[in-house]
Amino acid sequence: MADPTMTLKVARYRPEHRPKPYFDEYEVPYREDMVVLDALNYIKDELDGSLAYRWSCRMGVCGSCGMMVNYKPRLTCSTFLREFYPKHVVVEPLENFPIIRDLVIDMSDFMEKLRTVKPWIIRTDEHSVDEGEYLQPPEQVDRYKQFSMCINCMLCYAACPVYAKDQEFIGPAALALAYRYNLDTRDQGQDERQQIVAVDWGIWDCTFVGECSVVCPKDVDPAAAIQRSKVAATTKSMMSMLLPFGVEREED
Amino acid sequence: MKRTEAPPRYPVYVPKVSRIWWLRTGPFRRFAAREITSMFAAIFSVGMLLFLFALSRGRAAYDGFLHWLKLPWVIALSAVILGAVLYHTATWFRLTTRIIVIRLGGRTVPTVVIAAGLVAALLGASALVAYFHIWF
Repeated sequence: MADPTMTLKVARYRPEHRPKPYFDEYEVPYREDMVVLDALNYIKDELDGSLAYRWSCRMGVCGSCGMMVNYKPRLTCSTFLREFYPKHVVVEPLENFPIIRDLVIDMSDFMEKLRTVKPWIIRTDEHSVDEGEYLQPPEQVDRYKQFSMCINCMLCYAACPVYAKDQEFIGPAALALAYRYNLDTRDQGQDERQQIVAVDWGIWDCTFVGECSVVCPKDVDPAAAIQRSKVAATTKSMMSMLLPFGVEREED
Repeated sequence: MKRTEAPPRYPVYVPKVSRIWWLRTGPFRRFAAREITSMFAAIFSVGMLLFLFALSRGRAAYDGFLHWLKLPWVIALSAVILGAVLYHTATWFRLTTRIIVIRLGGRTVPTVVIAAGLVAALLGASALVAYFHIWF
């Protein structure tokens, strides 16, 4: 009996040959322990060296190999062929991003948005090195730990119809990271960050479709982070309305 | 915030988004159903306003409104509104349990308890309305 094989339909975009994306079909050997990325590597090594795609760690940590697998955003290193065998697999570049070549997308927009939410610890009173590190008990770590697991794979952006329609939207991963730092007791940049995210193209653009959390390979739950940011922003503005002298005011 | 694009060192292809993207997948269709059923809550509110308006114009107008409510097509519409609003309520209860985090004595209250609290509040409010409706 011949060894089992499987068909991959792979999206190609080679602007020097054709102005629009098209599909190429490849027949790859099938084994139960093969993931989609293994199949792509087989194609590149054995069948067609011109295929372009990103990958690095092969263990679901680096976040490089996100692609649309059978129309869903997945990490190809953690998506087994056996999930689809004996049917074929369709591999496309992540949705909602401009395509540079084959399965490679332009991630500049995400990188810029990630930077704008200031995903690092902001201190207004910086300790000197002699005073030691900023200590934090485990229960305070637990509050934000889930939201700190993001690997920047951009699957959530590919799943988000809001980002698809309105590309000014800051987007799930960046907003979840902003929330992660706002929850961190060592951080003092909540007000600064709030001005960046509590805007029409920030948390208020999200309509809670919730698909970002479904596709997240690290269970970060960006959808919950964004809705909780909305609750925090609303509570804060209500408090400043009800207690005009209870919160800090700008000088007249 | 403006979209950032890499300098055009190479031609990029930007796929178009379909106008009916919300029909494409099951989760998107459920999201659309959740949003569309909110309109029925608005229609119900308009009905309530008409009810109050009739009440303010005296007995004859009020009786006329009650008669209108008993027309078969209005009863059918009410049934549709009830179904849609209950569906909408269920979706929001489900979403609320994902958003609300209540900490009591260093412990997080389980989502099941929050969901049960929401359902209890709905049943309590409904019982109160039924009580006033029957006794007054």
